[in-house]
Amino acid sequence: MSKKNTAPVKRTGFFGRLFHSASAQFADEMDAARAADVEAIVSPGRQVLNNFLDRKLAVGALIVLIGMFIVMFVGPLFMPKYKDNYTDVTQQNMAPGMSLMKVPDELKNDIKTIDGYGTFTVGLSNAGKVFVWGSTQIGTTGVDIGDIPEEVQNTKIAMIAAGYDHVVAIGEDGKIYAWGAWQLGQYDTEEEYIAKGKPTDPNIAFFPQELRDNGVDVANVKKLICGYQVSAILMNDGTLYLWGNKRTYANMDLFLRAPAMDDIAFTLNYVVGLAGKHNAIYSGSRDLFTMVKQELNGKAVPTADYLGDRTIEAITATNKNVALVLSDGSLCFSGDFNLDCTPVPKLQADEDIIQIVGGAYHYSALTNKGNIYSWGQNELDQTEVAKDYAGTAKLFRGSCQTYAVSEDDKLVTSWGLKGYPFGTDVRGANVFQRIIQGGRMTMTVGAVAVIISSIIGIIIGCLSGYFGGKVDILLMRIAEIFSAIPFLPFAMILSAVMGHMDISENARIFIIMCILGVLTWPGLSRLVRGQVLLARESEYVTAAKAMGVKESTIAFKHILPNVMSVILVTLMLDFGTCMLTESSLSYLGFGVQYPRPTWGNMLNGANNATIINAYWWQWAFTSLFLAVTTVCINIVGDALRDVMDPRSSAEK
Amino acid sequence: MGKYVLKRLGYLVIVAVILSFILFMIYSLVPANRAYKDAQDQIKAMKNSIPEGQEQQYFDEIYLRYQRMYGTDSKNPVVRYLRWVGVYPLYDGSFDGLLQGNFGYSYDYKKPVVELVQQPMINTIKINIWATILGLGITIPLGIHCAVKRGSKGDQAVQVFTIIGYSLPTFLIAILFIWLFCAKLHIFPPSGMSTPGSHFTGFRAFLDEMYYMALPLIVSTFCSLGGMTRYVRASMIEALNMDCIRTARAKGLREQVVIYSHAFRNALIPIVTLVVGWFLGIFSGSLMVENIFGWNGMGRVMIAALRTADYDVVMLMQMFYIMISLLGTLLIDIIYGIVDPRVRVNK
Repeated sequence: MSKKNTAPVKRTGFFGRLFHSASAQFADEMDAARAADVEAIVSPGRQVLNNFLDRKLAVGALIVLIGMFIVMFVGPLFMPKYKDNYTDVTQQNMAPGMSLMKVPDELKNDIKTIDGYGTFTVGLSNAGKVFVWGSTQIGTTGVDIGDIPEEVQNTKIAMIAAGYDHVVAIGEDGKIYAWGAWQLGQYDTEEEYIAKGKPTDPNIAFFPQELRDNGVDVANVKKLICGYQVSAILMNDGTLYLWGNKRTYANMDLFLRAPAMDDIAFTLNYVVGLAGKHNAIYSGSRDLFTMVKQELNGKAVPTADYLGDRTIEAITATNKNVALVLSDGSLCFSGDFNLDCTPVPKLQADEDIIQIVGGAYHYSALTNKGNIYSWGQNELDQTEVAKDYAGTAKLFRGSCQTYAVSEDDKLVTSWGLKGYPFGTDVRGANVFQRIIQGGRMTMTVGAVAVIISSIIGIIIGCLSGYFGGKVDILLMRIAEIFSAIPFLPFAMILSAVMGHMDISENARIFIIMCILGVLTWPGLSRLVRGQVLLARESEYVTAAKAMGVKESTIAFKHILPNVMSVILVTLMLDFGTCMLTESSLSYLGFGVQYPRPTWGNMLNGANNATIINAYWWQWAFTSLFLAVTTVCINIVGDALRDVMDPRSSAEK
Repeated sequence: MGKYVLKRLGYLVIVAVILSFILFMIYSLVPANRAYKDAQDQIKAMKNSIPEGQEQQYFDEIYLRYQRMYGTDSKNPVVRYLRWVGVYPLYDGSFDGLLQGNFGYSYDYKKPVVELVQQPMINTIKINIWATILGLGITIPLGIHCAVKRGSKGDQAVQVFTIIGYSLPTFLIAILFIWLFCAKLHIFPPSGMSTPGSHFTGFRAFLDEMYYMALPLIVSTFCSLGGMTRYVRASMIEALNMDCIRTARAKGLREQVVIYSHAFRNALIPIVTLVVGWFLGIFSGSLMVENIFGWNGMGRVMIAALRTADYDVVMLMQMFYIMISLLGTLLIDIIYGIVDPRVRVNK
């Protein structure tokens, strides 16, 4: 810059010297030099900023970092429904994607039925064609529900139902087809099961051989329904065919021997039915579903007392509870409800419910006035009814969705869970939400730890460097003792000791921050001491001393600001280190613990090759966030150090 | 020099004592009572021979005996600490502490801690020697190369990679490598130390071990590459800017000689400190890598002991780590003096 400005003024040629006196030329040059100087002088802060802005990589990293901070600290405000300890068995290990509610175009105008229980949904067109959408990969078994067997594709299907990991379909010819996971006896007869190389299992109710041999009379099938790993076909004459995994359904044996049934439904753990006089829910046991209530969180009363002379017309089940439609058109409920459910709607005087469907945790109902209501749990937006449902004639359930279909079998609208952008974890919680919440925790722990360590480090460094002598020796010895402590093992032992004490999780987290802070200060204090030692000998400090300024004022007001730049860089890099240490501790299980998410403990499920391979989304996204953040911190920190340290920038 | 070393050793002992005291105090916060547990066990075992109604009396008696045996009958933690070290007599007047060679007893494994850590120690040393050789073999040439070709495309690429390398936590790299090498490429086994059920001998056993060691080795080497390469590069750059290098070049020495004989000797001084620290890490092992890959080393023993609250093991391991780190600092200072004749340590 300076060269350009001085070039036209400089007259160094022979003629220049000839026609100008030496002094005039000297004066010119002085002016030029002065002008150049004036231009060149910028404040040190400005210079550092300019140098920093010259580094494209560092600027990019800084922008990413600031973005991260904003997302992590503002993001949680947009998730009012988020809960730390949220779990859901039916939503476990779902792959990332937003296609859970995406009805295939081909099916949209020709819907015969839609059914969903777990992570995927099946649909059947009037032409008898089967469609599957949603998250169709089942666990680590390698089963993909989306691989519809060829014989099913080639047959006209009459009825279809979806379970948690299997699908059952009945062809127009009465033949029964099924596909999906089979290991727990979802659809094999005993012979077929043994033929697949498994020993027979008393905990499995095998598929009835007579159905395999003879099929069913399609016209007489009243209901085809699937549960977690069970399926049932109910005939018009009350005959019940029931098969599947008995481990999850404690009362299934009683149903296998049961008399004629008029209706059947599955919760997550029990089979419920309707039989005989329709004055109680049939569960095969005296203590299950014997109390009903009018409101989800209302007072439970014995069924007989509540019903009076009314009877139960139909039952619909969700995972934890059952809805009963009574003969006078009113509703009541039996089972457990979470406290924060969307309440049951108040119907108008002459409004009757004509259809009710139950998903995993919600109910949706259609009334004779054409209104649709949803109630139940709303963690996954199940009860946020879409506005444009006019013209709906039928409702179909997905596990967390409701599909509204018009009289001419066209899809009107649908609402509920669209999907998980980053999938779900092993407990069924939304990984994306946990990453945001965990990021806030990780960053908070890192930041507080750094603040603690910097307070200790700066005070001790300043005192030690400024006063020197005995104080210096003593403080530096203490620092040495602290730096002799092996970091990770010591933090672990402290954390483990705390685990045996009776303190709240918040207190534990704060203590972890303190541990990190207390163990990292020696490095910073040594750095500050070195800088202070340098500054102490400088002239402005001598001047201050000569003026009789108090010693502590000199140390903290005159010297500290001058070493601030170095401290800031170290703080930046320490912040990264503290975040990493917290993650490592939490990963090993000695830091912040489960319901509270942090980037470290979210990764500790990823500890074997099968899970790492099958559920890549459970570690990949979290790792990416952690990696990007720490890499950015280090890039920015390094760049800052380079631009603030004149020696290293001279080298460049 | 001798006087300096003695002085440092004395200081080391003092620090070790202070740290062990702090550690013991933390340890005594844990509500674990070995004497109580043992007494209960014994009462259960001799249940039939105790007269009715006298259980409590018998229990108190046995409990007291165990407390006296373990030296926990005193409420004063300082006394308990001194007994643990072995400079204060137990109830019966005998000494039984660290100084007498009683390093504690593992409750989970029912054997003395020293016996327990022998095999893990060997395993840890085995893997870390390879890691050190590999690490130094890669980082030093790479760092020198980057310093010499400073600013080139290659150097910039290495700079970016190393910054990524040292920003990522070990467990993340381990997860990534398991995914890549075990799940996708099926080259290495994801964990373990030898093929289950195999009884290889001789060379075959060695090969099998190397096969299982490969992935943890790669991960621990990879993790140390970033920091070390940057360090070597920085000190080499500093050395290359020295006047003596200019002189050497001016004399017309070959570039190879200038770099490796003149500059590297000077760059070596800061590097030595790092190498020594690294060698000491051979004994302590990597908590993370051993834990993830199921390598039965010191780090794994430590974590297992912490999880099951086997605190005698934890205490000894912790003291071991502290001693290693203190000795390391001392060793670095002494070696610094030897390598760099300008540093006069005996002042």
